[in-house]
Amino acid sequence: MIELVLSLALLTLIKATPLIYAALGGVISERSGVINIGLEGMMAIGAFTAVIISYATRQPMLGLLAGVAAGALAGYVLGVAATRFKVDQIVAGTGINLICAGGAAYGLVLIFNQPGASAQVPALGHHYLVLVVLAFIAALALHWLLARTPWGLRVRACGENPAALASAGIDPLAMRLTAVTISGALAGLGGAFLSLGELNLYSDGMTAGRGFIALAAVIFGRWNPIGATLACVVFGLFEALQYVLQGRISWLPADAMQALPYIAALVALAGITGKVRAPASDGVPY
Amino acid sequence: MIARPALTLRGIRKSYPGVVAVDDVDLDLYPGEIHALVGENGAGKSTLSAIAFGETRADAGSVEASGTVGLVHQHFELVGRLRVWENVLLGREPRRGWRIDETAAHERVRAVAERNGLAIDPDALVEGLPIGVQQRVELLRELDREPSVLLLDEPTAALAPAEIAAFFATVQRLAQRGTAVMIVTHKLQEVIAYATRVSVMRHGTIVARMETATTSVDAIARAMVGGDLPGVAAREATQPTPCLTIEALCAGAGETRIEGLHLEVRAGEIVGIAGVEGNGQSTLADAVAGMIGYDGRIAFAHPRATLGVIPQDRQREALVMPWSIVENVVLGRQDRPGIRRGVVIDRAHALADAQRIKERFDVRTPSLDVPVRTLSGGNQQKVVVGRALIDSPDVVLAYNPTRGIDVGAAALVQSRLMEARNRGAAVLLISFELDEILALADRIAVMYRGAIVGDFERSNVDRAAIGRLMAGLSNA
Repeated sequence: MIELVLSLALLTLIKATPLIYAALGGVISERSGVINIGLEGMMAIGAFTAVIISYATRQPMLGLLAGVAAGALAGYVLGVAATRFKVDQIVAGTGINLICAGGAAYGLVLIFNQPGASAQVPALGHHYLVLVVLAFIAALALHWLLARTPWGLRVRACGENPAALASAGIDPLAMRLTAVTISGALAGLGGAFLSLGELNLYSDGMTAGRGFIALAAVIFGRWNPIGATLACVVFGLFEALQYVLQGRISWLPADAMQALPYIAALVALAGITGKVRAPASDGVPY
Repeated sequence: MIARPALTLRGIRKSYPGVVAVDDVDLDLYPGEIHALVGENGAGKSTLSAIAFGETRADAGSVEASGTVGLVHQHFELVGRLRVWENVLLGREPRRGWRIDETAAHERVRAVAERNGLAIDPDALVEGLPIGVQQRVELLRELDREPSVLLLDEPTAALAPAEIAAFFATVQRLAQRGTAVMIVTHKLQEVIAYATRVSVMRHGTIVARMETATTSVDAIARAMVGGDLPGVAAREATQPTPCLTIEALCAGAGETRIEGLHLEVRAGEIVGIAGVEGNGQSTLADAVAGMIGYDGRIAFAHPRATLGVIPQDRQREALVMPWSIVENVVLGRQDRPGIRRGVVIDRAHALADAQRIKERFDVRTPSLDVPVRTLSGGNQQKVVVGRALIDSPDVVLAYNPTRGIDVGAAALVQSRLMEARNRGAAVLLISFELDEILALADRIAVMYRGAIVGDFERSNVDRAAIGRLMAGLSNA
């Protein structure tokens, strides 16, 4: 029994980790005033790029860094669209999702000559548990950055009233561009964790809506890094449950168990409707 | 005065597509003076102060300041969910390593507040503060930069009378300590009471410079409009017949609840509701406009009577700010015969209506297709009043119809209301400015705590008695 609880706890933390990275990215982006609906695509491109670079160099660490960079690039593109070109953030983010998922699917054919999944590549091995610990440290660090540093104060002001920031002599558009780029880097790290940490390959659809679950965690966690992290742990628990319960509860079909994290996200969001308040200028172009 | 000016503007010119906003303006601001810049809406005051602040670049001319220039905006640029100290020091945070030195930040805000006699709690959340205190925060933010020139754009527009007095006490202290203060305003009483000099702008140029000690509200107003003020249309004799009847009205909740209110407005008369803000006036207006449910009876003379409404807050309740003038003129009238043809809106008809309003109300705009948010407040209000009156409604509900607009625009709006009365409309005028009610109303009802506590005919108005009733003192 103790063994079961321990393995459930460990699995929960592992499953929560990619969600946490993406959700922290979502928090930064939204606190600066940009809704990052593209988290899903940024995770996918991070996961894919990490595998490609690890395949090419046989260095999984390089792959991991490349995944972060690819996510950052996707974030930067969304940032430029949302600030310089004032494209509707939801439309631009959806575009990022389509391009990243489609680009990765096409890349599989180009590089591995097969659709659906990549070959197996050198992965992080047990080192990936460091990333699990790092996710929680990152949450604390982001909380501290937002609450205690000049940069954090400016990000918060930017998401609430960018005009106030501008009249203090700081360019809100530059602030937002930086924030969305960091957001993409974190989502890319979450994606690379999936492909090189938990697994050793990329397959189409492997992010499986985790970017959107992370967005739900941002809202459920009230745009606070600690809150969002705890929400991710809850969603991670439901994901872990399906593995632990498999074969133990015979009357519940496997498909229903796989749906657990999504149902949990839905119920969580429905339950807090009207009780939370987004940053005042979240999603509003400046 | 041989002192060197703190701010010197020479030959300033700025044009926007279709309009010359500022045309060859010279202006000096001296340390220690309170300088008022007045003019009608759209005369170029805001553009000139934006240029002086450095927010807008002039097309030609020079700006020279002896130190930093601060600007307090009319609409505060504060972050509601941040604390007072965070707002004041945003962008200039004292640091200790990576982090904000919060002890130093608190001390700095307290020191600036104390030096300027502004009481404030640095840890309070800005969104929970009253408007007057929020303005203090905005002011502190500028004062922290120790400006030698401080520009204030319509600083008292949102303040209650008591807050206005406190605000000017602060400004006078600042001037005594050597700051050059410029106030952009159209409240001429305040100019006379608190400013030392006044510059009057009209059509982008400064047309008069006066010492307030030797001038008057009338003289400034004449300079602003370039001649005598347009008089309000004459009151014509009418044969009043009942038109709007309110009986035993109960509505609303809390402080602003109305309990058993009776009122009758006849065709061809203006009934003014006098009272201090917050005594149920907005509940009365909402009930008459059909926006809230109520008990009792609100009846019009005949079932097909029409109602024209001038809401209290033009930006929130009357206009869709990103929409054009034409679209806003259609709004709420979209089902009227003429405007609606089958299932579509007749654009030509709508355009003609907008054109008619533009001419009758002297709406100053380069085109009827520009978003209303680009218009000055006075011109926005003209669109709102024009729309309310264009279909010659039987009943007009006017709530603070001239709030925050300049004297010229206000006189025009009042004239049009009087004309509506003269052609037989029943006008219910709710205003927090007793002077406006005394100028327009045929009958005056005083509202206090949700009830009508006094009633005066125009012929036997007693200003002092109205004042007592407004304050809640009995008639005795």
